[in-house]
Amino acid sequence: MNPVAGLGLLMRMALRSLWSHKVKSLIVGSLMAFGTTLVVTGTALLDSIQSAMSRSIIHSLAGHLQVYSSEAKDELSIYGGGMMSGNEVGQITDFSKVKQVISAVPNVKAVVPMGIQLANMSRGSDLDRAFTQLREAQRQGDSTVAPRVIPRIQRLLGLLESELVNREAVSSPEVKKTVADQLADVRRVMKPAFWAEFEAAPMTALDFLDTRIAPLGGEGRLMYLRYVGTDLDSFSNNFDRFQLVEGEMVPKGARGLLINQRFAESRLKLTAARLLDDLEEGRQQGVSISGTPDLESKARRLGTLAGSITILLEPKDAKALEAELAEFIRPVGPPTNDGKTQVFDDLKTGTRFTVNRKTSPDPDAYDANLDRLLTAFLTMDDTTLAWRYTFFYDALGKRVDLYPFETGDVVTIRSFTKRGYIKAVNVKVWGKFVFKGLERSELSGAANLLDLMTFRDLYGQMTDAQREELTAIQAEVGAQDVARENAEDLFFGGDDDTEEAETETTGFSEFAGVDLKRQRRATVDERRFDQAELDEGMAINAAILLEDASTLAATQAAVQKAVDDAGLKLRVIDHERASGLIGQLAMLIRGILYVAIFIIFAVALVIINNSMVMATLERVREIGTLRAIGAQKRFVMAMFMFETLTLGLLTGGLGAAIGAGIITLINRIGIPATNDIMVFAFSGPRLRPDFTADHIVLAVGIIMVVTLLATYYPARIATRIQPIEAMRGAD
Amino acid sequence: MSAIVDLREVAKEFPLGKTTVHALRGVSLSIQRGEFIAIAGPSGSGKTTMLNQIGCVDVPTRGEVFIDGQSTSALSERELTRLRLRKLGFIFQSFNLVGVLDVAQNVELPLLLQGTLTRKERDLRVAEMIEKVDLTPQSKQRPNELSGGQRQRVAIARALVTQPSIVMADEPTANLDSDTGSRILEVMRSLNEKEGTTFIFSTHDHRVMDHARRLVTLVDGLIDSDAPHGPGGSA
Repeated sequence: MNPVAGLGLLMRMALRSLWSHKVKSLIVGSLMAFGTTLVVTGTALLDSIQSAMSRSIIHSLAGHLQVYSSEAKDELSIYGGGMMSGNEVGQITDFSKVKQVISAVPNVKAVVPMGIQLANMSRGSDLDRAFTQLREAQRQGDSTVAPRVIPRIQRLLGLLESELVNREAVSSPEVKKTVADQLADVRRVMKPAFWAEFEAAPMTALDFLDTRIAPLGGEGRLMYLRYVGTDLDSFSNNFDRFQLVEGEMVPKGARGLLINQRFAESRLKLTAARLLDDLEEGRQQGVSISGTPDLESKARRLGTLAGSITILLEPKDAKALEAELAEFIRPVGPPTNDGKTQVFDDLKTGTRFTVNRKTSPDPDAYDANLDRLLTAFLTMDDTTLAWRYTFFYDALGKRVDLYPFETGDVVTIRSFTKRGYIKAVNVKVWGKFVFKGLERSELSGAANLLDLMTFRDLYGQMTDAQREELTAIQAEVGAQDVARENAEDLFFGGDDDTEEAETETTGFSEFAGVDLKRQRRATVDERRFDQAELDEGMAINAAILLEDASTLAATQAAVQKAVDDAGLKLRVIDHERASGLIGQLAMLIRGILYVAIFIIFAVALVIINNSMVMATLERVREIGTLRAIGAQKRFVMAMFMFETLTLGLLTGGLGAAIGAGIITLINRIGIPATNDIMVFAFSGPRLRPDFTADHIVLAVGIIMVVTLLATYYPARIATRIQPIEAMRGAD
Repeated sequence: MSAIVDLREVAKEFPLGKTTVHALRGVSLSIQRGEFIAIAGPSGSGKTTMLNQIGCVDVPTRGEVFIDGQSTSALSERELTRLRLRKLGFIFQSFNLVGVLDVAQNVELPLLLQGTLTRKERDLRVAEMIEKVDLTPQSKQRPNELSGGQRQRVAIARALVTQPSIVMADEPTANLDSDTGSRILEVMRSLNEKEGTTFIFSTHDHRVMDHARRLVTLVDGLIDSDAPHGPGGSA
């Protein structure tokens, strides 16, 4: 058969046949068009997300490649496999070697050392802080502090007293005795007589406060802090998404902490302020509180937080705030329902509202009136939110600390070292930063940045200098008893105004007391380090940034070979793998899409197959005739294949065009990221997906394969039809 | 001159349930080039079965079929198909045109399958053939737009366009009224005379048999009579 003429014949027969079976063609065609549309939109969308996510991952933390010890038990996971930092990912003992070897590989732009850890951080309890202020004032001979701080201590003790009374009531007889003693101590301090003693002998009184009262004050607010210990200089130069938004960069060679602004906003900020921010954000986006369960519950919670604010206020500020609030919030009659319910007027908006509290406030408390007004103020709805938000920051922002610490403060970070004890380090907060475009993402927002030297201290790695110091101290302390006179100096000495760090021990006697002393002596390590010192130590992993990301796989192999050749026991992985759960999320979504596509095409396959078998049976005489007049089996096979291929090409092309149209449309509009994972996945507030020729080719390719598979069986049946069928009667 | 078709002791049996149908019981027949031969007989006498053996769309249970001196029993299915394409033309009782193709395309179909002619040669041959069956005005129409007689003329054109040695026609007039049937036979007869094509057709219609030059009558799978036949003559 003449191939060209034959092809023309087949084409003509295919088109005619498709046209004459319009309904069948329409059903099968729509199915194939839908499948192709899905493949094009789905894969284009996913690829766009994946590449956006790669941008997020690469330029915020991971770099293009990551290296870590090949002896690691667990896989490296930059964003955390779970909440805890207990992943056993080994360590790089000498980073400088790694840097040297990897930097020599072509296409490598930079190698940034890293160590990721989860630690906790606290500023001690409120009582601790007050006592510290008193002591500092005494030391400096400042007499203005005590009158300001003592009323606050009294207020805190009032809370502590009621807590102890409750505890005494529920305690077992043995414990009851201890609690009673504690209660007696607290009550002693609450009496004016104690403060008269304080005037006379401040240090003795402080000693009592520190040893007997402070331990009752609890832990204070404990916060978890996830940080990446790194060469801050190199990090800020190589990760282009890094941007300082407050304070200053940690100077080269200095130790310091940079707080992620997202972390500050969502974890550190005063709870009441955080809830209010959420409500205000909703208002600005046109989401009302009423009818939005999430915001409703936040508003309810906000209404219960007056106490957490009054406790932070200085008495003078409390009075001023009370006066300001009274101008706009006025009670309508006395409280009812055992003091739990009270009606107020909001004079700003002229609305009347009711406050229902779970417990009735103590009417005799000296700040009872402020508490009622503040509770009323914090009980907001859609009409009152706007002005109260502004008022909150104007009137309250200047009187209470909205964050537990500010840029410039020194904080204590405590972590479990690899040797099992808790290590505490004081470090200065130099500023706040964001990862550009990912400001709203909790995932990248959870990572704070710490200098690598401090990271090593917290990790349990000692510098040579520290090791020498430790030996010296051990020799010095030896059998020496700590004398009562020295204790003050030993425990509370030091010559700076930062808060103390304390070291808890978990049974490692070598550090009991000794490490504590070192900490007291140098609260903040201000020694500068040089680049060599930074490089020649340990790191957990290192990020590799490339000049050209398109040859990532080849460079990955080259780096792996280079480190292998150098005898470094390192594993090189790409950013997707390094990102752990998040990288797997992309794979999971991809998996779901592929399953959906598979199901659609499986259904299409069955339907096409079925309708082709039916068509074959309808066309027995026609096929028999063709065979009788001299058509070979392969002509019949080709005829069937050609028919579905034509349909597949037409409808697949149509589907691909629709898919491309959808992607173009979505690209114009953009998909808004409504939660933090989406911000991260979209690498910004909106996803603008794109498609490439690959997506079209893949989609049309799949449809062709499905079509041919679906047609093969019916076509085989058709080839078995004998020419003698043509001779049978009319039907 | 050797026979164009030679049947030697051809028998054909079909299983039918638990019994066997003996459609042909050992038939020998020799047909010369240019003959215009009718195979007659009552229903079930084996006419169609015999045509199927001659047309190489079926293989005999016993005996041998020679087409143009070549035995068909040794040929593969593929070679049989090629033989049909080159040497045989078929006209079916129910026309069996390809519904999705127009008249000219239906006629062109066997030429395309042969693939030996250029497009120009094909077009010329198809036009000539359509002219011979008087369907030139209808050449762009689809079969379902034509009358039964017109359709059968398309089928004749399709059977003859490859200039086959033998044209088989299985009850070519069964689905036509008698006038149309007569005209179809006249067309076939004139092509037989002008082109020298051998025509073998089966029928049980006496008016059709009247057109034949030779009449073979089958009864119960055996040849009952085989005699020359003239216009106006009788069996």
